[in-house]
Formats: sequence, C-alpha cells, structure tokens
Amino acid sequence: MNTNLAHADSAPNPATAPLLELHDIRKRFGGTVALAGVTLSIAPGEVHGLIGENGAGKSTLIKVLCGIVKPDSGVIALAGEAYSPHSPRDAKARGVQVVHQEFNLLPFLSVAENIFIEHLPRNALGVVKRRDMNTRARAALDAIGLKDIDVRWPVERLGIAHRQLVEVARALMTESRVLILDEPTATLTSRETERLFAIIDDLRRRGVSIIFVSHHLDEVFRLCDRVTVLRNGETVTSRRIGATTQDELVRAMVGQQLQKEMTHSIESSARSETVLSLVNFRHTESPHEDGVSFDLHKGEILGIAGLVGSGRTELLRAIFAAEPPLSGTLLRDGKPMSLRSPRDAIRAGIGFVTEDRKEEGLILSMPIAANVTMASLADVSRHGLLDQRAENALTEKLGVDLKLKYGGPGKNASTLSGGNQQKVVLAKWLARKPEILLLDEPTRGVDVGAKAEIYALIRRLAERGLALLVVSSELPELMTLCDRIMVMSQHRIVGSLRRADFSEEKILTYAYQGEKRQTGH
Amino acid sequence: MKLLLRDAGIGIALLLLILFFALTADHFLSPNNISNILTQITINLILAIGMTFVILIGGIDLSVGSMLAFCAVVGGSVLTIPDLSVFQAVSLATVAAVGTGALCGFLNGWISAFWGLPSFIVTLGMLNIARGAALQVTDARTIYSFPPSFNAFGSQMIYGVPVVFLIALALVGIAWFVLSRTVFGRLLYGIGNNEEAVRLAGHSLMIYKIAAFTIAGVLVGIAAIVYMARLNIASPIIGIGFELNAIAAVIIGGTSLSGGRGSVIGTLLGACIIGVLANGLILFGLSDFMRQLITGVVIILAVIVDKYRERITAA
Repeated sequence: MNTNLAHADSAPNPATAPLLELHDIRKRFGGTVALAGVTLSIAPGEVHGLIGENGAGKSTLIKVLCGIVKPDSGVIALAGEAYSPHSPRDAKARGVQVVHQEFNLLPFLSVAENIFIEHLPRNALGVVKRRDMNTRARAALDAIGLKDIDVRWPVERLGIAHRQLVEVARALMTESRVLILDEPTATLTSRETERLFAIIDDLRRRGVSIIFVSHHLDEVFRLCDRVTVLRNGETVTSRRIGATTQDELVRAMVGQQLQKEMTHSIESSARSETVLSLVNFRHTESPHEDGVSFDLHKGEILGIAGLVGSGRTELLRAIFAAEPPLSGTLLRDGKPMSLRSPRDAIRAGIGFVTEDRKEEGLILSMPIAANVTMASLADVSRHGLLDQRAENALTEKLGVDLKLKYGGPGKNASTLSGGNQQKVVLAKWLARKPEILLLDEPTRGVDVGAKAEIYALIRRLAERGLALLVVSSELPELMTLCDRIMVMSQHRIVGSLRRADFSEEKILTYAYQGEKRQTGH
Repeated sequence: MKLLLRDAGIGIALLLLILFFALTADHFLSPNNISNILTQITINLILAIGMTFVILIGGIDLSVGSMLAFCAVVGGSVLTIPDLSVFQAVSLATVAAVGTGALCGFLNGWISAFWGLPSFIVTLGMLNIARGAALQVTDARTIYSFPPSFNAFGSQMIYGVPVVFLIALALVGIAWFVLSRTVFGRLLYGIGNNEEAVRLAGHSLMIYKIAAFTIAGVLVGIAAIVYMARLNIASPIIGIGFELNAIAAVIIGGTSLSGGRGSVIGTLLGACIIGVLANGLILFGLSDFMRQLITGVVIILAVIVDKYRERITAA
C-alpha cells in the first residue's frame, strides 16, 4: 500500500481495489446461527459503517476479523492475500486492530502500562523502562486530546469515557491497516465524540481503513463513506452513504416482517387500576436521594428508555429485589410492601426477564422443561417429589402458547436458538401467572422472526391485564410496543411521553439532556 | 437420558477393568476376593455419596477425613459407656456420630454460604478443626473394646456380600432418588449450573447449600459407625487423606468439579473402579507405592476423557 497519492489518482484501480474483502462468511454456535453469509468489501482509507440491530451478527463478525472466532466457511482477503487469523495477536501482526468497548483494560495497571501492555519498552535486562514508557504514553494521550489524565494513574481511576479513549490510544500505538471501532461513542460525551471523529479523519487521510460499528445513524452519516447493514447474520445491503437515507437503513435493519409488526397500530389496553407504584424509590447505586417515582397500571406497557448506564437495569433489579432497594416505597395494588428477595417479589406476583439470558435467565445445560418450571416447582411437584408428567405437560402447553420451536421438553436449553431461549425464559415467568412482568432488553440477540412473535406476545399479555415494564435500548422497539415511555438519565426519570408524542428525537433529547446536566458540573 | 449414557460409559470402563483382572490375576473372581473388594469400597463409597452432593453444587469438602475421625471418637466414646445395653449403646453411638457429622457439615455449609466464602477454604479449616477436636477429646488415645455383637456386624455377610456394603448401596439408592426425583435435587443441579438463575427464580440459595454440606456430614457420621464396626476401634488418627479418595471416586464417576453435572450412580461406579484397581494391583504383587501412582494416573485420565465427552456433547 505504498502507492503515493498522485499515482493513485492517475490510476483509479489500485485506490479502489478493496483492502479488505469478506465473502459469504458463515458461523454457527450450537443451534444458533450467528453469521449466515456476510459479504462486504472496504477500500483503503474508507470509513465503513457497520450497522444492524442487536444480534444481527456485528460482534461475531468483529471476532472473526480479529481472530477470536474461526468462521465455519467463507473467504477473507486482506490486500489481496488470504486472511484467516488464528488469534488476536496474529490479526494484529497483519495490521487488523479492534478497539473494543471499554472492557479490555487491566484496571489495576497504570494508563501507560495499559497502552504498552503488548510491547513494554525494556532495557537489556528485561526491566521495563518506566520513564521512557511514561513519556511515550504521555505523547500518545496528548495526541488524542487527553491532556488532563496522568499516565501513572491506575485505569480504575478513570471514568468509562476516558477508558474508551485510552483503548483508542492503545490501538493507535501500532500501525494498522484496518481499524475496527466497536460502538466507540456509546460511552462518550459529545466533546469526546468530536475528538474521536477528528482522530478518525486523520487516520482516513493516512490510508487506514476503518470499520465503524454504531447504533447512531447520524454518526454513521456524518463519518462514513459507505455503510453495510447486517440482519440475522446476513449482509442485507451495502450502500454509498450519499445514495441512501436513514429511513432506508432502518427498514433494512428491521426487515419486512417486523416492519409490519411495527406499523401495526395498537389500541392501548391500559386500565385505570394501578398495580405498582414507586415513591422516591432508590436502588443501591442511585446517587439521588429522591430516587424515582412512577405508577404502572393494569394492562399497561410502560417503556423505559435511556442510555447505557442510566440506571434502567438497576431499577428493574431493585423492584424485583435482586438487589434490595436502598430506600423509598413500593406499593403493590396500593399496599406498601417490603420486598427483600426475588422470592418475595415473585410471591407478590412479579416476574423478571433479565437482560442476560445466559448468565441469569437460563440454565443452558439443563432440560427445557426444568428451565420452564424453575420458578413454579411447587406446581409440578407433590410433597417435594417432582411430577415429570406435569412438568412436561406444562412445558408443552406453554410451548404451544409461545410458538416455541424445540426438540422436546427433555432437550437441553442450549440446543435452542436465541429467540427460542428467550421464549423459554418468558415461559418460566408465565408459568407463575404473574401480574407484573419486568422485561430487560426482551429481544436482545433474538432473530427478527422471533422478535415479531415476542412483540405480539407482549401485546397479548397486556390485553389479558398483565402490567409490563419494558427496558430497551432499541427505540423503535419501545415506540412500537409501549403505551408510555419514560426516559431515564443518571438514575433519574427525566421525561415521560404518551404514545401520541413518541418520537426518537424527543426521547434522545431527554436522554442526552440529563447527560449534559451531569457533565456541566 | 444423557446422564444415563455417561454412566454407561463409566460402567463399560469398570467392566473392562474387571475383565482385565479376571484374565490376568489369579483368584480375582474368587468369592473371597469379591467380598474383600466390596468391603474395601464401602467406606469410600459412603463418603463419596456425600461428596457428590457437595460437588454438584460447585463446592468441595476437604474435611471428611478428619470429620470421620471426630465422628468415630465421639461415637466410640458413647459406645464404650459402661452399663448401657448393647442396643442402647449402639443407637446412642449412631446418633452421636451422625449428629457430630451433621453439625460439622452444617457449619461448613453455613459459614461458606453466609459469608460467601469458597468451600475449599472453609473445609480446609474444618479439616484441622475436626482433627484437633478428635485428638483433644481422646487425648490422642485409641478407643476399643466395643460390644462383640457390634464388631460382628461389621464383618457379617449375606451370600458373601458384606452387609455394610449393602447399607452403602441402599444409601446410593436414596441419594439417587433425592437427586433425580425431588425438587430439592433439581435445585442442587440448578445451583451448580447457574446459581444466579436459581436465585432469581425465587429460591433461597443458602438453605440448599447448607443442606448439601449437612448431608455430606451425615454420611460421614454413618461412615464412622461402619468404620468402627469393621475395624473395632475408633482412633483420632484414622481417615487421613480419605477426602481425596472420595473426591477421586466422584470425579472418576463423571461428576463435574465445577458443579451441576453428574450423578451418584457415576459415583458408585467411580468408587468401584478405584476399589477394583487397588485390589487387582495388589494381586499383581505391585507395591502400595505403585498402586498410588497408578490411581493418580487414572484420576487424570478420567478427567481428560470427561473433557472430551463434554466437547462432543457441546458440539
């Protein structure tokens, strides 16, 4: 890639010859198809947006490119040569680097050590040349505008946004041909985002190709030359940014089936009885004394929007007493209740579909029936003895209700696809016949078909009088489902919108307003 | 289903081992030798049943060897109280030994569950506590001269099968039932696989963790009684290293050390493999040292095989 600019200009071919080409990449994990044929190509110096809903296959694709996951089939070429990295180190040696979301730093080592972790400067005896390292780290941080951070600080002292930028600084230490940025702006404030964009522009001029993964379409339009949309592990479309619109991309991301489900106008089934009220309810990490207050009504679907880290998940966990709340009042059907464990919450008729299905929702290596009955064992047993027939019958009944596609109640939950796993989690709670269901990212990692089914199910439950509290990072999801959306920011409810007033813009304005107030002081 | 298949694999390994010794070692299949093997397996099997409960929830119990000694000297002291009828002495001694085991097990479970400590550390402490207690209460002396009928019970046979082994088999049956047919057993497997999911489904983890360790303690108490009946003594220095044999039986039996996977039938087969191996090697005339060495190799092989099996089922 040493062609000088003049040369490249006179002969368009080498400049437009792709630096990185992927053809029909496929990957399965057990019963789940993660990638079902991804094809894309990126020219040198191109900033390429990679978008798609959660579970569309972006992360798996990144893992393939940086050598963490080996694809089952497909061809990748880097600068015309076959490229199949077997480790991140190998990928790096070939010039492919990833800036992950903040989690890859070692919290107890200094910023400088983190930046140089892969090749600490050493003298002949192998002792780290600390001063040299710190000076160079200083220069690296200055270059990306982090002047107020001491390179000797341990990383744990930094906030999330700064950690993310340290990750960027680390990636920039080595020359790369392809730099992959995985949701780099998710944790940044607008000032830092600007800084990052300037860095990206600079890299682009130096001929580095950049894959920019983002949920924010406006960023993609500002920054990228081209954009590829993934859905269900497949490339749906690859467009020049000038030749497409945000609407078109959203349509490509959600697909037809969901489109129908989403445009489907719904009657609210919310009734007047309040089933759950929070008054100055405060979870353990909330910095605000007055906590949050709101009412949830019978048959209502109430959404909670907000940025990552705004306290949405913590709020749900506190309501369910997964972590007992710090203070405030919870009224259930108007009666104050003190829930001290999930057990109490379940007895009070509350169910909780957690964000992380694999860690908290399911026991993957146990049978589907065992998972479905996990919260209602008393119903399928007598004097502590399990009634397998009752257990299977319950599983099969709920399986029909939820259109679960499965091999049989005795098969392990790990054999199911993401969408069907999520249905098993839902079945577990529905088996308890709850009156309130808390849902945290109910369609994360779920394919589009199952997503539409889950939406339909949520509506059906609301019609039956269940009150649902839904947390989601996907605004279209909340706007499709909910009767009302509350926006959280910095552990506070900063706004509330009725269905007639829904718009992405309004929600985001609220979400970011809270952010700014925070950074202001 | 899958569990049965796993057990079948271990069963085949055991049969092959038996076949091998039957063909190569003299007298291996003689009735005497078979009774001998069964007697030798018994104590380890009873301890390993309890260990299965603990390992299934992702714990470990290093204290069972010391607890065996402690339970035995407590039971032995009661057994030798003068002026009690044999029936009274034996029943009281059983209650005392089992009660001591249950108490130690309860403490293991409660301390590790309440403070969220790794059971490895807590039971390592209990290993020392129980041994110290056993030495303290006996002043390091051995207790003997138990009632003759009690001693006779230890070596009683029915059709050449030691009665104590039948007791152990009955315990395997009970444990199998509890683990596979009850809500309690289901939740133990659940906890071993994914504690948080079980907690969020509304179950108190503490009760089940404490119960698993207490069950292990109860079985140590039973093993202590059987031990006294067989060897006609209770000494504070018995049982050293027994915990490792029990763990080995569980692991060879296919139960995963990280919890959530395995069965007590596997443990039965694992204990048989260890017993048959030890006996066969003695018949070969191998030294005790070589025997230990080979047992160690078998443990490692068992874990490697298990790892492969896991990968195959995962794929």
